[in-house]
Amino acid sequence: MDIQIQDSKHWMGARLERKEDLRLVSGQGKYLADIVLPGMLHAVFVRSEYAHARITGIDTSAARAMPGVVDVITGEEIKAHVKSMRQPVLLPNLPAKYPDYHALAVDRVKFHGEPVALVIARDKYLAEDAAEMVVVDYEELPVVVDAEKALAPGAPQIHDEQPGNEMFAMTFTGGATPEEQQRNDEEVERIFKSADVVVSHRFRVHRTGITPMEPRGVLCDWNMSDGLTAYITTQRPHIDRLALIDILDIPGEKVRVIAPRDQGGGFGVKAPFFRENVVISYAARKIGRPVRWIESRYESLMNVGQERDQINDLDVAATKDGKLLAMRNRGIANNGTGQTGVYWGFVMPFLGQVEMPNVYTWEKGDVKLRVATTNKACLTPSRAFGHLPTRFALERSVDMVARRIGMEPSDLRRKNMVPKLPYTTITGEYYDSGDFLKVWDNLMTNIDLPAFRREQAAARAQGRYIGIGFACGAELSGVASELLVPMENQPGYGAATVRIDPRGKVLIFGGDAPGGQGHETTTAQVVAAVFGINPADSVVTTGDTGSTPFGAGTIGARAGSYFVSAVHKACSELKEKITHVMAHDFGLRATAEEFAFTNGDVIYLRDPSKRKTFREIVERIIMFPVNLPEGEVGGLEATAFFEAAKPMICFNADFCIVEVNPDTGEFKIKRWVTSEDVGNVINQNIVDGQMHGAIVQGLSNVIFEEFIYTDEGQQLTADFENYKMATAADVPDIELTYASTPCPHTPLGTRGIGEGRPSSIPGALCNAVCDALSPFGIEITELPLRPSSLWAKIRDAKAARS
Amino acid sequence: MQTVKITVNGALYEETIPARMLLVDFLRDRLALTGTHVGCTHEGVCGACTIHLDGEAVKSCMMLAVQADGHAVTTVEGLARNQELSVLQKSFREHHGLQCGFCTPGILMNMTDFLARHPNPSDEEIRQGLIGNLCRCTGYVHIVKAVREASKTLASTAG
Repeated sequence: MDIQIQDSKHWMGARLERKEDLRLVSGQGKYLADIVLPGMLHAVFVRSEYAHARITGIDTSAARAMPGVVDVITGEEIKAHVKSMRQPVLLPNLPAKYPDYHALAVDRVKFHGEPVALVIARDKYLAEDAAEMVVVDYEELPVVVDAEKALAPGAPQIHDEQPGNEMFAMTFTGGATPEEQQRNDEEVERIFKSADVVVSHRFRVHRTGITPMEPRGVLCDWNMSDGLTAYITTQRPHIDRLALIDILDIPGEKVRVIAPRDQGGGFGVKAPFFRENVVISYAARKIGRPVRWIESRYESLMNVGQERDQINDLDVAATKDGKLLAMRNRGIANNGTGQTGVYWGFVMPFLGQVEMPNVYTWEKGDVKLRVATTNKACLTPSRAFGHLPTRFALERSVDMVARRIGMEPSDLRRKNMVPKLPYTTITGEYYDSGDFLKVWDNLMTNIDLPAFRREQAAARAQGRYIGIGFACGAELSGVASELLVPMENQPGYGAATVRIDPRGKVLIFGGDAPGGQGHETTTAQVVAAVFGINPADSVVTTGDTGSTPFGAGTIGARAGSYFVSAVHKACSELKEKITHVMAHDFGLRATAEEFAFTNGDVIYLRDPSKRKTFREIVERIIMFPVNLPEGEVGGLEATAFFEAAKPMICFNADFCIVEVNPDTGEFKIKRWVTSEDVGNVINQNIVDGQMHGAIVQGLSNVIFEEFIYTDEGQQLTADFENYKMATAADVPDIELTYASTPCPHTPLGTRGIGEGRPSSIPGALCNAVCDALSPFGIEITELPLRPSSLWAKIRDAKAARS
Repeated sequence: MQTVKITVNGALYEETIPARMLLVDFLRDRLALTGTHVGCTHEGVCGACTIHLDGEAVKSCMMLAVQADGHAVTTVEGLARNQELSVLQKSFREHHGLQCGFCTPGILMNMTDFLARHPNPSDEEIRQGLIGNLCRCTGYVHIVKAVREASKTLASTAG
């Protein structure tokens, strides 16, 4: 058996060069915009110039008259021929007031950038010209962009289904009934009344998110025999397929969705079902020619990638020796119009409240959320789904408690960490496995804190302000059906088909749709470890509903948890069959465990002379299925589904050291150090890359990125000049360290990682800045963190002191 | 319409094109060289469309194709020689300098030019050199490493 274990170790955890990269570094990737079909037409959307207005007329005649223009489609036409977007397949099982809407706006527009019409032309330059010739008459309506104003009496009504503009409200603590919850809230109130320390703040996190470098796109092809083939930039092609079937009313066998093999990032932004998919599909069916829409960056920044945008009024009660007792939060999320399938915007702040308690033990909590509809674009999922604002609020509050009682924030965190897993939080989130304290203690080995405090004091004596900040976060490792069915109305299991080829190669089919995570490589490493072959000998197909089993999508760190586990399970089934035939052929009474798969051979361990090459034995089973063991048939293909019994997590902790210039408010990150529990690693390069990317996304969100709307709902940040993302020169190097615990609930001990990772970044950074500026008593409660706002706080603190 | 002669990756193309056609569209739509990407609305901020014009890194979304008339263009497809990746391309593979790969062609073109001008760059210089390219996946850490290691390899093979 040793041979096999060595082999597994060899491929598992290796820094293998990615299989994807040869084509990607040589310009041979095939992204959506690179796919061209014969006779393809080009589509451009006409989008609303107003945040809230009545459409009083659309004149398409000038556009239609232009040479090369094939068609102009408006909301009235869509309404007449296509169902509305509020179909059951796209509705979470959560009690929200779901607004109905059509794929193109009908009668009213509700946010700046809402699609109003589609122009289709033979050439994309012509389509752009023609889109400018479509004349839409608007009658402006009152606009509300502020969440609290939207919820206040007398606010403009945005959706008829939502009196008072409240889309969703929920209590996350205390039990299922209002009576239980009220009793709980009273107990929480008693704890607060008698607590030594209470910290109460309003935390605001601005509207920001993760913008993939590749914008969205849809290319649809229709023919009467096969129906619709839709190429979509998407993280969940199978859900998109179901939605297209239901909304366009096309029989299921006539809809195939293909997420291109190469996608330029997703990060959640490509996870919802978008109205543009419906319009382009409709256009292709109507015209009978392929129609392609490639989103401009301008459209992208107007419509998607906008998340966060929450207020959290958080109270934390603690004892004077640093025991956290209770939390009370009133979250308010600014959902925009909520018009996006699957998530409807509010699912993110919903999960954000679920994740509020983080890894600390609380006696009680009272956590409530209200989600407001406003005239902004709908929130779209963005990595650290919903909980970047809640984690910012909590991790900042933890530091404020520590400062009040004169305790090191790192000590306070450790003191309150859940000491042993599994554990269920006060909001009902289940933490399956791992060792928070081990990860934390590993983090602390990277810093001599007493020495740092001496250095800090010495620097202050010279007028320099340095500080250290800590934060941590438990993150979902995949999303179990237990959570995904209520949240998104779909299963969470991982699914994979593994087909062995008579030449000894392995083909893997997965229904998820990656965008840079390296599925082709990690999957090949897992397959290589199981079958003792080379990762070069397998090939992974993803994203095509025509060839892959149903997959919930590349979302929520599912690859390392659910997808590879399904692959492993399918491989294991095939391995069992191979050894069964091997034993029969050699006349052995042997079990599967008595064979080793290594270096391209299958070997009977008790007598290594009894061996075959992997290719020989698989070819025998697939191509020469005679003289098989009784009951066995030929062929080597298996589809497996993997579902863990309970949700799973990964865990991470950060500290950073900053220096703040008190005269300008500018700050520089001098060190960023992490400690991670990622379970068993398949490819260390890929895991490192996920962490680097997530941390810098968090920094970019906190320091630079911000979607800005005027009071009239005009979006001012629809290009990269105004929506500023971090460049290489803006961010530090990152020191990653690991203190992992294998996950006991996946066959390889792996955890899904990377999705939630940005959530601890704002806390760590702002805690460091506040630590640096503690002589001024400055507490940051609002993001973004900009030198200008920091300078104003320092100025005010200096003024108050003098 | 205007007829232009543009050398792309060593081959001369004579094409009749609309005067308003962007160079990036000429490369992608006319020549089917789709390695050059478009990641912003022709603002020159994202850098995914970076190519070489007469050996110098420029953003092909900021130019009309007619402006390249009589000039030589190199795209990411032209970096490899005889099916052999360049040192920088290899370094990006080895050090995991890419994830989704959408920004990568532009970064490779920019950094190829950069390394020719800065044979022994510090990390800080590499980071400054990258400000014309946005990457969303990597946090730039492995990109900086890939460029740094490529510079060492180039120095050792040149010396």
